[in-house]
Amino acid sequence: MTGNGVFTCGQFRGIVAELALGLLSARERAEAMDHLEHCPACREHVHELTATSDALLGLVPGSEPPVGFEDRVLDRLGLGSGRRPRQGGLWRRFALAGAAAATGLALGGGGWALGASVGRPAPVAPIVSPAHPGLRTADLASSGHSLGQVYLHTGKSPWLYMAVDAEGHSGTVHCQLQRADGSTAKVGSFALNAKGYGSWGSPYPAGSSQVTGVRLLNPDGTVLASAAFHHG
Amino acid sequence: MRRIGISLERVSDEALLAGLMTGDPEIAVAFVRRFQRRVFGVAIAVVGDVQLAEDIAQQTFERACRHAQVYDPRRGSVPTWLAAIAHNLAIDAVRARKATPVDPVDLENMMETIADTPERHALSAETAVELRRVVGSLPREQARAVVLAGIYGMTAQQVADFEKIPLGTAKTRIRSAMAKIRASLAIRQADP
Repeated sequence: MTGNGVFTCGQFRGIVAELALGLLSARERAEAMDHLEHCPACREHVHELTATSDALLGLVPGSEPPVGFEDRVLDRLGLGSGRRPRQGGLWRRFALAGAAAATGLALGGGGWALGASVGRPAPVAPIVSPAHPGLRTADLASSGHSLGQVYLHTGKSPWLYMAVDAEGHSGTVHCQLQRADGSTAKVGSFALNAKGYGSWGSPYPAGSSQVTGVRLLNPDGTVLASAAFHHG
Repeated sequence: MRRIGISLERVSDEALLAGLMTGDPEIAVAFVRRFQRRVFGVAIAVVGDVQLAEDIAQQTFERACRHAQVYDPRRGSVPTWLAAIAHNLAIDAVRARKATPVDPVDLENMMETIADTPERHALSAETAVELRRVVGSLPREQARAVVLAGIYGMTAQQVADFEKIPLGTAKTRIRSAMAKIRASLAIRQADP
């Protein structure tokens, strides 16, 4: 037990549930934070109870918002009807197998792994729409083994996103684009955690030549995994 | 590898969130459609007013757009993250109105709902079944306390006033219920 700050661990356990539920006053919260700063065990306890609190919210039933909600959100985001895609006749239920597969990679993160595992993927009722012409996906593979997935969005503001599950690898990795003209360019770096998991997304320069591949590089420049895109 | 574009509905939650940062309206539409039931469901459950709930749900998507770059998948899934944003906004709204946070009839309906079968709900079926079982097996007064605090955002003092019990008793009920739910989820996590 530690006794740093205002609370001892025993006293802290008395208010930790209320802290995780966001029920404490500003003063009580500040005192709790003071204790947490010095006590990793209580921090872990808070993380677990926060995940518990999040899980409780997952039991609240979904509810359809009023008609026109989507339009009003898009207007609020500055993406109003003038820029909206057409959607006639597209509202029907769809099994979430694809999204489940795409999000099926393990997440790391100590006490937060619980929060990650209980709420995904959301079996809400997504809508079937035509394929998005600017969006492509490819396996991120090494020696024939899939280590994740890359999404490439080739619209006016191109971006990419990848989720990696490379057990046995950790630390910083670099993302490199390969273009049809043979040029390559690093677009960013991110970290794989101790379990080899990482996810990352970033815009990239549109350039004049199509992106044909994405490589994940180790710090020494060797290729950890690669993905190939064929534009047909 | 795909030779043609893929449907946005097949894109992972995290990728869709990352795509929001580009300002692409198609990505935004797909994102809103995927999560609007979840977000509005949390908002309406807490505030009980359609107009206010819609405003909260709109604010939730606005914040998600603005803060997409700081989302950390290790701290929870995208729907969990969105639900937490909506919940915080809804609780703030209720407290700002200084209104009675919950109608007793609404509370009873919610108690029945959260112990109900897991269809249509956001948690994976197995986890939801376990969580509902645990909440359903709590002493009634503890289940009420944790729903009042965890879903309706009542402070321990408000729970005490609402239930007409001493403050210490309210705190104990909330703490005991959370500990039992946490223990059950921890067991599930350790032995999936």
